[in-house]
Amino acid sequence: MSLEQFDIPTDGDLVRRARRGDEFAFGQLVERYQRASYAVALSVTGRHEDAEDAAQESFLVALQRLDECRSPERFAGWLMTIVRNRSRNLVRRESLRHTDQVPPGARSLVPLPDRVAETSELRGMLREGLAALPEVQRQIVLLHDLEGWKHREIADRLGLPSGTVRSHLHFARKALRASLGGMLAGPDLKRTAL
Amino acid sequence: MRDKVHDGSDYVDGLSQDDELSQALGLLDPAQQDPNYWFRFRTWVLSNASAELARRRLMHELTVADVMSSWARAVVSTAALAAALAGLLLVRGADASALQPVGVEELLVSEVEGETIPTLLAPATNGTVAFAAEIF
Repeated sequence: MSLEQFDIPTDGDLVRRARRGDEFAFGQLVERYQRASYAVALSVTGRHEDAEDAAQESFLVALQRLDECRSPERFAGWLMTIVRNRSRNLVRRESLRHTDQVPPGARSLVPLPDRVAETSELRGMLREGLAALPEVQRQIVLLHDLEGWKHREIADRLGLPSGTVRSHLHFARKALRASLGGMLAGPDLKRTAL
Repeated sequence: MRDKVHDGSDYVDGLSQDDELSQALGLLDPAQQDPNYWFRFRTWVLSNASAELARRRLMHELTVADVMSSWARAVVSTAALAAALAGLLLVRGADASALQPVGVEELLVSEVEGETIPTLLAPATNGTVAFAAEIF
């Protein structure tokens, strides 16, 4: 089923309206792709703060260059390219900054101490595992398993063959599982999440 | 991050959703620690995009007539200034022409009483300005 059948505007509709300064349409685009943008930025930067900066700035850059988006229906892929480039630039600029910071809000909740330690450990292992992957595999596994994009969506939006996406996903998962070890078989992660 | 919707295409090749890994990766979702995270994210973007969106609205609302009228205003004022300058130059030009001496042609066609051509061309007139004309 297509988006039109549910009266949901397509990316092309929203891009055309945003070009005319429609704030609601641009807000829809942001809402639709903010998580994916963050996931791609995180796959490049590896740090929450940098990923947040890169993802947010990418939307502003995209708006400024919206007239250069030659295929409005393919806005997502075009945006992801901007996110990747912004993230890489950010990494280059801030290559001297190595401090590992806790994402905002982490201090606002007070879970049980043992779960804090367990979740922090798992998050650290996840970051290490992701850092060991090639960038393209990080992007694919985050977009698929975190953001929930389908193979063909990833392939279309990252400009990769579908088979390549599946292959990268397979190897990324295998490597991540190996780096996480027995942590995945642990307690309910959602309930222990910080 | 978002509700995952599958149409089955990801399952036919045996590479199905890895729920355990998805759950673990969910720890990297900022919304797990701050439920309002994505709302604040979007608010920040829209707030910083407001100027560009306003510029785009303005550009879109400008009609051809608006453009022509703004262009005409500039042209009319420039033309008025040019006309004023031209008028000033003309007035000054008219004053200057009044001071100019009578042209040779005017002298030749008007009657000059007195000396005749042979006299004017005589050696005694050497060093003085003389006009010669043949009138038929």
